[in-house]
Amino acid sequence: MEQDIQCSRSSEGKAVLLERCEEQFELLQKLQNEIILADTEAYDDQSNEAVNRLIAITSELERWHEMEPKLLTNSPEVLLAVGKEEVSCHCNNTQEVVIVSKYKCSYRFSHNFSSQLQRLNSQLKMVLSCSQAKLDAQKKILKREQTWQAEKKEALNAVCEKITRLQRENQKSEHSILQDMKRKINNLKDYHGSLMEMLSDMLAEHFPLPDPQGNSTKKKRAAAYDAEIDLISLSEIIERLTNKTLETPHDPYVTTDDTFWPPYTEMLLRNGIATRCPEDCNKIRLEMFF
Amino acid sequence: MALLTPYSKVPELNTATVLLVENEEELQSKLANALVQYEKDFNVNVRLARKLPLPVENKETRPRIDLIVFLVNLLSERSLQSVESSLAHLHSDCFLGKVCFLVTDARCGSHTQERLVSVRKLAAAHQCPVLCAEHRTVDGVNAAAVRLLNILKVSAGMSPIATTALYLSSLTRCSVTSDLEED
Repeated sequence: MEQDIQCSRSSEGKAVLLERCEEQFELLQKLQNEIILADTEAYDDQSNEAVNRLIAITSELERWHEMEPKLLTNSPEVLLAVGKEEVSCHCNNTQEVVIVSKYKCSYRFSHNFSSQLQRLNSQLKMVLSCSQAKLDAQKKILKREQTWQAEKKEALNAVCEKITRLQRENQKSEHSILQDMKRKINNLKDYHGSLMEMLSDMLAEHFPLPDPQGNSTKKKRAAAYDAEIDLISLSEIIERLTNKTLETPHDPYVTTDDTFWPPYTEMLLRNGIATRCPEDCNKIRLEMFF
Repeated sequence: MALLTPYSKVPELNTATVLLVENEEELQSKLANALVQYEKDFNVNVRLARKLPLPVENKETRPRIDLIVFLVNLLSERSLQSVESSLAHLHSDCFLGKVCFLVTDARCGSHTQERLVSVRKLAAAHQCPVLCAEHRTVDGVNAAAVRLLNILKVSAGMSPIATTALYLSSLTRCSVTSDLEED
C-alpha cells in the first residue's frame, strides 16, 4: 500500500520518511488484524460474486471521494526528489501527482516539476504536429494515386471497347464482304448499261448513216454505188473495234472493208480514236484516247 | 475446505508474490525465470503449483499471494478441466482483481478455438482478464512476463495511488460479446 522511496537528499529527510513508513506500516498491521478477525467470523458465500464485486467497488468509490490529497512531507527537498523520481523513472505513462502547495519554496519545487511536464507536453505537441503533417502528405499521395488509377481505368475501358468493336467488325465482314461485292458489281453493270445506252443514242442522233437517196444526179451513181453495199453505222464500227480489242488483245486489228463508210473511218483516224496498222493499210485498231 | 484467501496475511516489504497454476508444468518454470529476471525495482516471488488447493503443510510459511495466474494450454482438454476444478478452491474475494488467466496455443486449430471461447466465458463470469501468450519462443515468454508484471504491480499495490487491483480488473476483464454467446 505504500511506496518505498529510495533516494533522499539529507538524512533528516530520510528520517522523516522512515517515520512516515513506520506509521503506515502500523496502520497496515491494524487493518490486517481486523480483516483476519472478520474473515474467521464470516462464511464465504460464493454464489454472490457479482454482489460482492458491487459492494467492493462502491466502497472503494466512497473512499476515493472522501480522500483528500495531501503532501507526503512538508520538506521541499524531499518533495522535489520524490517528484523527480516519479516523473523520470517510475512512471511510463503521464500520471497526475496532486500537490497542494502552501509555501513559496514548494512553489519553486512544483515550478521545476511542472517545467519538466511542460517540456514533455511540448515534445508531445511536436510529435503530434509531425504525425499530422505526415498524415496530410500521405492523404495527398493517396488522392494523386487515385486520380492516376481513374485515368488508367478510363483508358483501359476505351481500349476494351475498341477491341470488341473491331472483333465484331471482323466477324461480320466475312458475310458482308460478299454482299458488298455483289452490290458493287451490280452498280457497275447498271452504270455500264446506261453509258452504252447514252452512247448509242448520241451516235444515232449525230452520226446517222448517209442517206442513200442522193440530192443531185451527179452523185447518183456514187450514191447508188454506195446503196448497193450495206453500210454499217458508226456505233456498229465502234462496237466491232471494242469487241476485237477486249476479246483478242493480241490481235486488235479490224479489217476495214466496203461496209465501213470512209468519212467515218477518216473521222475516227483523225481524232485519234483509232490508228492504222503499220503493216496493212486496211486494218485499224482502237487507240487509247482521252 | 481450505480456501485460498487474499488478505489473510500481512504483505512483505517491497515484494510481490505471484502464484502460477498449471497442470502440465511446461510453461511455469520458463515464465518464472522471465518474471524474476525482468523486474529490478522490487522482489518478485514466484510460487508454482499444479492445481489448487495448495498443500496444507506450507500454509504458515507461505507469504501473501498477490496474483494468481491460471495457465491454460488450449491443446489439452485436461488443462481447462483442472483449472475449473481449482477455481472452486478460491475465496470469492480473490476474484476482485487477483486472478488472471493466461492461455497458450490459441491459434493452433479448431478445438483450441472452442476451448478459448469457454475460457473467455469462464473469465467473463468471474470478471478477470485473459491474456494470450506464445510460449514456444523466448520472445513470447518474455512478452508474457512483462504483461504479467504489469498486472502484478497493480495487484501488489506497487503502482501509484490511483490504481487498485479492483479498478484494473474492471478495466481489463474479459468480456464475451453477444456473437460469442450465440455459438
